[in-house]
Amino acid sequence: MTALFDAHGITKRFGGLVAINRVDYALDRGISSIIGPNGAGKTTLFNVFTGLYEPDAGEVTFRGRSLVGLRPDQITALGVCRTFQNIRLFANMTAIENVLVGMHARVRLGLWDALTHPPRFHTVERGLWQRGSELLERVGLRDKANEVARNLPYGDQRRLELARALGSEPALLLLDEPTAGMTQGEAGHLMGLLRRLVADLGLAILLIEHNMRVVMEVSDRVTVLDHGEKIAEGLPREVQGDARVIEAYLGRRSVSRSPRAAS
Amino acid sequence: MDYELLIGIFPQVVLDGILLGFMYALIALGYTMVYGVLEFINFAHSEIFIFGAFVGVEILLSLQSAGWLARLPWVVVLILVILAGMLASGLLAVTVERVAYRPLRAAPRLIPLISAIGVSFFLQDIIRLFESIWRNAFNLVYPTMDVMNIRFELTSTLDVSVRSLVVIVAALLMLWSLHVLVNRTKIGTAIRAVAEDQAAASLMGINVNRIISLTFLIGGAMGGAAGVLFGIQYSLINPYTGFIPGLKAFTAAVLGGIGNIPGAMLGGLVLGLLEAFAASYMSLLTGGAFGAEYKDIFAFSVLILILIFRPKGLLGEVVRGRA
Amino acid sequence: MIHAMAAVAAVALSVALVDVFPRSILVFLAFQLSLLYVYVARIPPWLRTGLLGVALLVLMPLIGLRNGYYLEVATQVGIFAALALGLNIVVGLAGLLDLGYVAFFAVGAYSWAIVGSPHANLIFGGGFPLAPGWFYVFLFVGLAVAAIMGVLLGLPVLRLRGDYLAIVTLGFGEVIRVLANNLDKPINLTNGPKGITPIGRPPLPFGIPYSEGFYFLVLLIVVVVILVNRRLEDSHIGRAWEAMREDELAAQAMGVPLVRAKLLAFACGASFAGVMGVVFSAKQVFINPESFTFLESIGVLAMVILGGMGSIPGAVVGATVVTVLNLQVLKGFSLWLNELKNAGVTVLGYSLANLPTQLEPAKYERMVFGIILVLMMIFRPQGIFPARRRQRELAHTDKEPTVVVP
Repeated sequence: MTALFDAHGITKRFGGLVAINRVDYALDRGISSIIGPNGAGKTTLFNVFTGLYEPDAGEVTFRGRSLVGLRPDQITALGVCRTFQNIRLFANMTAIENVLVGMHARVRLGLWDALTHPPRFHTVERGLWQRGSELLERVGLRDKANEVARNLPYGDQRRLELARALGSEPALLLLDEPTAGMTQGEAGHLMGLLRRLVADLGLAILLIEHNMRVVMEVSDRVTVLDHGEKIAEGLPREVQGDARVIEAYLGRRSVSRSPRAAS
Repeated sequence: MDYELLIGIFPQVVLDGILLGFMYALIALGYTMVYGVLEFINFAHSEIFIFGAFVGVEILLSLQSAGWLARLPWVVVLILVILAGMLASGLLAVTVERVAYRPLRAAPRLIPLISAIGVSFFLQDIIRLFESIWRNAFNLVYPTMDVMNIRFELTSTLDVSVRSLVVIVAALLMLWSLHVLVNRTKIGTAIRAVAEDQAAASLMGINVNRIISLTFLIGGAMGGAAGVLFGIQYSLINPYTGFIPGLKAFTAAVLGGIGNIPGAMLGGLVLGLLEAFAASYMSLLTGGAFGAEYKDIFAFSVLILILIFRPKGLLGEVVRGRA
Repeated sequence: MIHAMAAVAAVALSVALVDVFPRSILVFLAFQLSLLYVYVARIPPWLRTGLLGVALLVLMPLIGLRNGYYLEVATQVGIFAALALGLNIVVGLAGLLDLGYVAFFAVGAYSWAIVGSPHANLIFGGGFPLAPGWFYVFLFVGLAVAAIMGVLLGLPVLRLRGDYLAIVTLGFGEVIRVLANNLDKPINLTNGPKGITPIGRPPLPFGIPYSEGFYFLVLLIVVVVILVNRRLEDSHIGRAWEAMREDELAAQAMGVPLVRAKLLAFACGASFAGVMGVVFSAKQVFINPESFTFLESIGVLAMVILGGMGSIPGAVVGATVVTVLNLQVLKGFSLWLNELKNAGVTVLGYSLANLPTQLEPAKYERMVFGIILVLMMIFRPQGIFPARRRQRELAHTDKEPTVVVP
């Protein structure tokens, strides 16, 4: 069976800097994480996957279709959606409106419908609002539906971004540091939410994360990037103990299994 | 197709083009310097330019009515008028920046642009108001200085007037001084630093606000000088004549690479030449179907095409790195 | 209750005053202000609509009978209100600064002017002007032509960043103006600076005179335009536009096709201008390139900005204020000044008769626009009536989530 999402040989250069060097990545289901020190190229990889950047080399396929050269909105329509490292909500729109925009790709209405508001329009709109409120319910923001996005507390904003991304009915969700700025408790809640999403909606989720506890607890698989290259991949536990991973994070000298005896 | 005619007028067209080009270059410098440090199109620069022309004409008219115009050596008069125009326009530019742009520095980019449009319109009518009250007329004519009309015949088909020479020499002087200022003085280095990276420049101890004001001063002064030269060259000015040359000079700035000072000079020359050729040859080549009136469309088309196909311009943009 | 009585009283009183003082501009302004009051007052919607309806459908024409100029002003306000609403979609909703908007207005106007007058005979040899009834068809032709032009303009320029887009649209507007001025050869399309006249006027029902007829036609079109605006705003398209204005990158990532959305905004905005252009040329009977300059583009922009970007009532109010300022206040000031001059009034020892003849306040529209733009940007960029997303809210109880979609 073809993998849901398959990228191989991805290379991305910016001028003379090689941001990503021949990275392969495939995922099928469940929750996977990409980790790595700052500047490793994780967000760049996301940007390539979602069409913000075009790779200099390599191929990206989703459900058998090539994504290279497609615009971000086209990729979203195909079923891949993302959130952003620095929250990019539509600040002056309400929470429910943000989610409604997220559903744009799935709206089967045209200009004529918008101009004439036939009964079909009202039915579809009602359905959208219904679904929007369900998504907000899912992330626990139902009672803040009519709040303007920029007035929401930080944690709620992150969850709103998640709800908005879910609006496009993705099969694959890419979350860029979803727990950044959260307390351990909030992060844990979010992870529980993600697991429920996978269970209920059959989503595949790909996380970029720095919070190691979260990563280890929730991921089915972890991939490690450093300086634009994949240096390790596997089950969380395997990756945790990998020498190269430790080295990437902490530097060469600290790779030492036996503590030095104090003299 | 009268080839002899086409070739015959060629040198004159080139000369016209260079003349026009230098004028555009001087005005373009104002746009490009401001865009370099602020990434902002100073829409009101066209009025700062024509303001210089008005200051010049007022001085000349005053000299004329006091009887001094004929008595003073024309070089002295010229230098006086140009310097006055530069000073006035420069100060106007600084004032406009303080009043209408600085409060909007943090706003999304379109807001100060709209404000600049407002300033442009306001200045047009303020000049009109002043002149209506002062002289009961706002279509003013530059007093002739007879020496300007002396023509030298270079070849059988090419002659050049003292007036044109004056414009060319003055423009060259100004462009050269700007080049020295920007590249060989401390102030110039500061301006270039602020254009590259405002935050870093301020960390290096540069007073960014002061440098920005200075940039407006210098850019405005260049525009003012261009205004005086424009008045000398074309004689007739009114508060609304700044608009079209301003737009064309902006085209020249973009053509050369916005933010890029040599680019503005190059862009000005290229546009001037292109326009001169279009004006002279279009009607000849199309049998009168499309005449010289279309030269304005020509410049705008260049603008549109450049922005669509090569927004970096000929020499490349020099703009602030984004955060 | 008090508000309701006050609103009715305000309207009734001002109308009565107009009847008594038909020449007083201040009194007419008072009438307009009373309408504004009705709009913002806290009165039940049925009363608001009722009062405004009566005022616009009955009272205004009656005022027009007392002083025809006022009806003319009202019609002009309507024309510019439609233009402002169109630009409002482009600038206010989608966030695209179009500085050449008047070009669409010009295209609509010329489309009817050419075939509605004998001018087309110069091009086609005969058969023109078309029968006046064709005017109503050309309302749609003008709409279509302008919309197509909007798309054609948009295609190459929409990926430019904001300030460059503005300048390019400015250039485009200027190109249209120069073309209008010069397309009298090789084929005489526009008759150049001489303009086109006489342009045919549409047949009106019930034998209404033209000044009333155009007033009602303009009013009808404005109502339709407002309706269309509201519908678009409350649809996925309106939401996409707003999202695009907030954060283009995020909007695209959420599935909004940017180019298509921008083109749609351009086309919609352009189409309103196209329709009004057709009306304008029929109303004026004579058009020339002077009516379609950068000044007009900026004028419409000033209306949108003054009223509030993205706000429908804002656009209408902005159009009213700016048009009234130019047509009435400035002109009135000019007239008043002339009266004072002729009467030999002196101010502080200076005889006003000595004021320079070139000083005509009526000509200072640019200063008005300029001041409006600068002051609004610095002090109130959201406009007089800031856009407020209409109250479509999620209503819910704890037990059963229900959705209320008005």
